[in-house]
This record gives sequence, C-alpha cells and structure tokens, in this order.
Amino acid sequence: MIQVRELTLWFNEHEHPTINKLSFDLRSGETMLLLGPSGSGKSTLTCCLNGIYPRELDGEIAGDIHIFGTSIQDTKPGEMSKHVGVVFQDPESQFCMLTVEDEIAFGLENIGTPRDKIATKIDGVLQMVGLTAYKEANIHSLSGGQKQKLALACILALEPDFVILDEPTANLDPLAKQAFIQTMKHIQEDKKIGLIVIEHQLDGWVSFIERAFILSKAGHGVFDGSLTEAITKHADLFQLEGIALPSITELALQACDNNQAAFSKIPFTYEDFTTHMSYLDQTFLETTAKKSCALEPIIEVHNVKLSKKKQKILRDITFSWAGPSFIAVTGANGSGKTSLTRLLAGIEFPSAGNIYVNNRSINQWKQKELRQQIGYVFQNPEHQFITDRVFDEIAYTLRLRAYPEATVQEKVHQTLASCQLQGMENRHPYTLSQGQKRRLSVATMIVDEQNILFLDEPTFGQDAASTRELMHLLAARYKNGTTIIMVTHDMDLVDKYANRVVVLKNGEIVADETPTQLWERPHLSKWNLDYPTRIKLKRHMEGSHVCITK
Amino acid sequence: MTNWRLKEIIVMAVLSVVFGIVYLAFLPVGKLLVSFMGPIGYDFIFGIWFIVSIIAAYILRKPGAAFLSETIAATVEMLLGNAMGPIIIITGMIQGLGAEAAFAATRYKRYSLWVLMLAGVGAAIFSFVWGYFRGGYAALSTPYVISMLIVRIISGAIISGVLGKAISDALAKTGVLSSFALGKQINKARSVS
Amino acid sequence: MSALLNNLNPSIKAIAVVIAVCLLTFVFDPFTPLIYGIVVILFTFLFGKVNWKLYIGYYLIICLLSIGMLWTSIAFADEPTNPEVTTQFLFWELPKENVTVALSLTLRMLTFAALSFMFIFTTNMVHFILSLMQQCKLPPKLAYGILAGYRFLPLMREELQQIRAAHQVRGVRRASGIKESIQQYKRYAIPLLAGAIRKAERTAVAMESKGFSGEKARIFYRQFRVTFIDWLFLSSMIMLLIIIVAISIKLGYFSWYKGQF
Repeated sequence: MIQVRELTLWFNEHEHPTINKLSFDLRSGETMLLLGPSGSGKSTLTCCLNGIYPRELDGEIAGDIHIFGTSIQDTKPGEMSKHVGVVFQDPESQFCMLTVEDEIAFGLENIGTPRDKIATKIDGVLQMVGLTAYKEANIHSLSGGQKQKLALACILALEPDFVILDEPTANLDPLAKQAFIQTMKHIQEDKKIGLIVIEHQLDGWVSFIERAFILSKAGHGVFDGSLTEAITKHADLFQLEGIALPSITELALQACDNNQAAFSKIPFTYEDFTTHMSYLDQTFLETTAKKSCALEPIIEVHNVKLSKKKQKILRDITFSWAGPSFIAVTGANGSGKTSLTRLLAGIEFPSAGNIYVNNRSINQWKQKELRQQIGYVFQNPEHQFITDRVFDEIAYTLRLRAYPEATVQEKVHQTLASCQLQGMENRHPYTLSQGQKRRLSVATMIVDEQNILFLDEPTFGQDAASTRELMHLLAARYKNGTTIIMVTHDMDLVDKYANRVVVLKNGEIVADETPTQLWERPHLSKWNLDYPTRIKLKRHMEGSHVCITK
Repeated sequence: MTNWRLKEIIVMAVLSVVFGIVYLAFLPVGKLLVSFMGPIGYDFIFGIWFIVSIIAAYILRKPGAAFLSETIAATVEMLLGNAMGPIIIITGMIQGLGAEAAFAATRYKRYSLWVLMLAGVGAAIFSFVWGYFRGGYAALSTPYVISMLIVRIISGAIISGVLGKAISDALAKTGVLSSFALGKQINKARSVS
Repeated sequence: MSALLNNLNPSIKAIAVVIAVCLLTFVFDPFTPLIYGIVVILFTFLFGKVNWKLYIGYYLIICLLSIGMLWTSIAFADEPTNPEVTTQFLFWELPKENVTVALSLTLRMLTFAALSFMFIFTTNMVHFILSLMQQCKLPPKLAYGILAGYRFLPLMREELQQIRAAHQVRGVRRASGIKESIQQYKRYAIPLLAGAIRKAERTAVAMESKGFSGEKARIFYRQFRVTFIDWLFLSSMIMLLIIIVAISIKLGYFSWYKGQF
C-alpha cells in the first residue's frame, strides 16, 4: 500500500511549498480521483510516488512516502517502477522507440524480464488494451487515443501494484476519451490494480471511482472522502478550481440554479438524474432556438477540391455561409476539418474550385488585406507567438499597420481587458498558463477587429475554467458582429453556442444545418459524433418513460 | 555519463538531432557559395556547423557536452544521407573536440560570450587542420589557404559563438530551460537582483 | 537479389565502411577509387535489398555535386610543379597534374558515397543503435537518448509547417535580406526548440518511470550477435580493396599520399 505522511515539498525557485503537509493512505486495489487546479502540485506528487523525486528534485522535501514499507528516500533509480506506473498527459512525449513492440519491450528490458518471456508479455498487454493489430506499427502513425492506450500497455506490462493516470485524456477527443476510460475500467475490474486518476474533468471516471482527494492551490489536502460528498458539499470549490463536473451534473445544477428542477440528491449519471429528480420544468430540455441574424454572404465556396500526395483530402465542396454566424465544424479525425478551414482562411490553396470571402475571390485579396478580414487561431498557441512580451505580441499587428503609438496602447489595453490578461503585459508569452496562452492567441487575432475568426479546436487540453472564459469571450465577439468558425469535437459547446453546424466525413460535407436539425438525425455515430448531454438526457427520459411534471 | 541526468542527455540528443538536420540543410548553401567563390565559400558559413556544440555546452554546462552533441549531430547527418559517409562522424568529433578544448581551458567554469566565441574559434582551428590533411587544401595556393583559415575563424566566433549564445538566451527567456544549468543561473541572477 | 547486407550485424557493417574509407584516404590516384566504387555499388546491388529509386535519386544528386567539386578543384588548384605537362580535358588544355588531383578527389568522394549508401540503405537506424550498445559498449543512457531524439524528427517536420503557416497569419512578411532572414530563422527556431526541449524533458520522466536507470548491464529483446558471415564480409571488403590496389600498382596507375594535398 501507499502511505503518504506529512509530505511537504519546495522547489528552489519558488517561495511557497508546492505540496504542503499532505497525508493519505491508498490500499492495494483501491481507486482514487486526485483533483485540483493547475499548479496545485498534482504532477509533483506523481513524481514523488514513482521515485523520480527526491533524486531528481531541485528543491527540498520533508515528510515521507512509504510504498509497501519502503521509503522513497531509499529507492534506487528504476526500482519504484515495479510498484507504481504512470501514464502521462502528452501522447507525443512518452516513448523512446519507433515501434509499438519495441516500446513495450523497452520497459520489460529495464526491469530485467528474461528474454524468452518478453514476447508473451507484449502480446498479453496488447490484447488487454486492444492494440494487437498494431504490434509492428510505427508509433508515429497511431492516433492520440491509441498512443495513450500504448502508454498504458507499457506500464501494465511491468505489472505494477498501482497505476497513476496523470490527465491521460486531456489531449483526446471525446470518443477517444470514452474509449480510454472504458479500457481502463475493464482492466481495473479485471486486475484489481490500485489506481490514482489525476483529472480536470470527471465525466466517465465517476462510473467506477468512488473516492476523491482534493488539493488546494496552495498544495494542501482539503478533502478526502466519497466523490458524492465532494460534489454535494464542494460544488462551488470545483467551479472555482476549474474542475469540470460530470456533464450531466453540470446540467442538473444549471437547472436548479434556474429553478427549473429539483433533486433529492445531485445526479452523476443519467439514471441518477431520473431517480433523484423531484421536479423538472420541461422547457429546460428544449433549447431556445438561437436566432441567427445572418444576412450578408460572408464565405462562398464553389466545387473546391484539395489533394495532397495523391490523397484526396477534400472532394468537391460547395456552400455559402452568411454572417455574422457562430459556425461549428465537426467530424471524425482526418475528415478534413482543419484543411477546410485553412483553405477558407487563405492559408492553403485548393487544387480546384473557387472561394469567395466577402464577395471577392480569395485570389484577388492581397495577403495583407485578407489578414485584416480574417483571424485564425491555431491549435497550439505557442506556434503563433513571435515576440517575447505579451504586450508586444498583441501590438505586433497594429504596429505593422503603422497605427500611432497612442492608438496602439489604447487598443492593446482594451484587448487585454476583454481577454482577461491584465497585468500580464510584461510576461514572456511562453511562461503563461495554458488558458492564458490560448486567450493571448485569440487576442492577437481580434485586436485588428477582423470580422471572421477561425479557431482550430480551441478548447483542446484546457481546463473547465479556461474553456468557460474562452467561450464567454467568443460569444461576446459574436454578439458584436464577428463571424466565429470553430473546429470542435465538443457537442455540448456546439449545442450551447453554435447556430450552424457543418459535419465532414472523408472530405465531404454530409450535413450543414442548425444544431437542432442535426440532433434530430438518428445515427450520428456513423460520423463518429456523439449527441450533447441535453439530448442524451432527453432520450434517456423518453426511453425510461419518466413523466415530466410541470 | 554517470553524473548526467537522463533529461540532460535527452535534451542534448534532441538538440543534436535538430541541428543534424540544420547542418545537412546548409550543405547546399555552402555548395552554392563554393561555386561562386571557390573553396573559401564554405568558410564564410562554416560556423553553422559548430553551433550545436556551443549551444549544448552553454545550456547544460557539463564536460563532454560540446564533444558529444557535435558527434551525434554528425552521425545524424550521415544517417540522413551526407555523401561523406562515416568520415563526417570523425569530422564532427574533431570539431566537437575543438569547442570542448575551449571550455576545458576554463575548467568548465566560465560561459561568457568570449568563452563561447573562443569555443567557436577552437572548433574552426581543429576543423581546419583536419580539413587540410583530408580535404586537399594543400592543392590550393598558400595565400588562399590562409585567407580561408581567417574567414573560418571569424565565422566560428560570430555564427557559432554569438548566434549560438543568442539562440540559447532566447530559449532561456521562454522558461523551458528552468531545470538546466543556464536556466538555473538566470533564475538565480533574477532572485538576487 | 538477396538481403545478405540487410542482415549483417550493423556495427560490423559500419566498421567495415569506416576502415575502407580510411584506407582509401591514403590512395591518391583516380583508378583505384573508381574500380572500388564500382565494386561497392555492384556489391550493394547483388547482396542488398534496397529502395533503388531512392538510391539512384540520391546518387544522381551526389554526381551533380561532384561535378561542381571537380570544377572548383581544377580552377582553384595550386601552381603545378610541372606546368608544361598538359592534358586534354574536355575542351581545355590543362596541367595534367591538376586534372589528376581533381579527378582523384572527385572519384574518391563518389566512392565514399557508394560506401556510405551501402550502409544507410541496408541498415535500420534503431537496429544500428541497439547493436552499438551491444557490440561497441555505447552507454544506454546516450543510446536511448539518441533514439528518443530521432523519434522527434517527423513530429518536428509537422511542427515546422504549422509554425510557418501560423506566422503567415500573423502577417509576418517573407524575409528579404540577410538580417531579416536570420531573424526569421530565429523566429522559427525558438518555438521549435522550446517545444522539443519540453518534450525531451517529459520523455525523460516517462522513460524513468518505465524503470530505465541507464545501467550498463541490461537484457535485450532484440539481440545482435556477430557471426562468421559478418567477419567474412569485413575481410572481403578489405581484401577487395587490397586486390584493386595491387592491380593498379601493376598497371602503373597507383600513387600514394605523398603530401600532395
């Protein structure tokens, strides 16, 4: 078992301890969710548990951790991996070999598994995570979800007593996320491994993890008990710390706030929702149709095709969008979403066909003018940063246009305020938090009052609080007449914000309609899409014949 | 290798791989200059081919960083298709030793701009001596050979020394080096002031 | 075509190539490298499973480059000791000495390329590193570090394209002039390197939590051994060179390195 006693840890460059007098026990086979805001020392704790700290620590440590009676102070490098394995957040940086087989073998070699047993073990774990068909595949060719399953397989091969999952699904799309959680659930139930899941969002995990441990920003343990109790008593704390409640819980709380529903107990699942519900206003499940005031044709596309390396990325696309609108572009990975938006923004050019932006062919726009019309926020905000100060970053475009310095100052400060980046002017963009980086990248794209804004999966890898702030910002821009075109997998966001949704499959547009129309279609899974929580709840209630009282 | 942390080794390896590609990419540039100016064309940009040893040594501040990084970069260059084949690895080792010599002379204690430029010069001289015996410089007229040497020394000092420092410092500002020697030194300087 | 070359021990193959290259450095006539180069290419063709399209493409590029080299080493040659002895080279009357030196340098480069391609085109990079660890005592920390770095290559290519597009959207103009080009390189380099360093650090942590400690004694899933065939290959590569040198001495072409260059 794991025993953490009064653990306190300082990094040299920090004033305050990152972890502060932390104590808890975890028995073999027990599961636990470790929750806390970014910077609360969750990942630091991970490094303590798998034996990397204190050896690699540039700082000091007090208190102790015992794992099956051995103190982490006395372990030799590599020894702890037999007891504790970790799956990390970033799928791109957990491997050092080129193929799936070699990567799993690497770990087994490290712990001295006899050579003749390695092959059997590899086959075993691949079967467990469902990657048998990819044994000889190049890791680079796997999808994000497959990479995370591989990372899990590598750890399971070492047969540890405890597995720590450090935000393993933060960089995955919703379907891959569900698949990963399901895989983990089956393995946990089968093998009874001890599990610590570090997360920002609870969806999926609540179905098999009961215990929750909450860390505060200052690195204190503030709660240790059942998840139900945590949500019931500390829902406000979750909101404050940017932890996403299960989406169904979120929906229920929202209904309570609006006096549209009442519950005997806060629901975590669809079943809970119907059993604990004492009252529900029917109108809650219907959206107020988002009115579109779109009048002006803003983007028109005629017979656009795109091929790369003899591969057809987009086949014969034609449509006309009016603005201002809030448009969501969605579809499976590799369906051509990003390619389409890049063509529309004039970053790439089609192999055939015509694109018109504001009634003028995109070829006739000068790059410089086009950039005044269109902003494009890339998936990785860092790629777009070109200066080493937040202020200069936002001012860059304005200075390029040779605005007088007074105007620059004024506009930058306005933008800083609307993106909640006040006080960050002198920071280096790279040193901001994930959420701040994202908002800064949006800031650079709206400062020149561009009237079309593209965003490529802007909520990817963001915690609940920064997603909320970002969406507020986008909604406000839309209200002011900017057309927002957002590539996303998150159907709850589509349901809440978009007034038009475009679905791509294999380079073709298979649906281009209002979200309400899309939710009425029977089989969205054929396009690799999920329904939003609201719709799923509605279906669930219709299916279970719950009568809805008004 | 025992007093190296794993992350230092991997960062060094990654830098070497990146610059291995940069080295390969600059070969055609060199060839182009050569076809205009003759063999001296290479020497103007020769500093490019030492830059990783200066960057790795400046960031990590460990004995061997300059030598190893340059050697790995050369190996990567060979594996990606440099026509010189395995010879290029030996060339890389010799250049790396040249830079390493400068750092060793300060007992790995000083990493000022002058030391970095000196490392660039060291690499230039070592590579020139090697080139003289291997590349057939003796077939060229003596004044020409001397001017080649001078140009190469300047290029080593400026491109690998000054530019190498500029790139490393810019990287340090992004905060990604906070757990490496260069980043730690900057943090310390900041907290003192 | 067999795959004999592909199945050789990678370290021995590399050593054979290095020895051959080193020996050739001391030979200073056009004939020996020419014949040896042809033999090496035949060897590759007969005993290797190679992507020929790529091989020929690469080799053509090298040939083009070597023409440039031939020209510069004639044009910038030192004053010949016997300027009156000339030879007809294509359309020009040139000092024979200069032409011989230039030809031998150029052919030598072509032979180096043939040797190095024989290695590159028949060797799996990962196997090479693994074999270096097993046969040549390369420290595991360094070996796996290099492999981890090598894995980043395709990732970084994609990232560079992203960065380029992202900067274009910011309105960064295409660079003109040296100063702007350097600035542009720096702008691309910083996000690329910063991302790579961050990933490298994470990879190191992930490797350590998989139990990697860098200990020298380790078990290898893929074992590489040195067999009789490997030694046979190594010795035949060297014997062939010696035989060709002998022939060229007999025919009177041969010349040693005597400080000509």
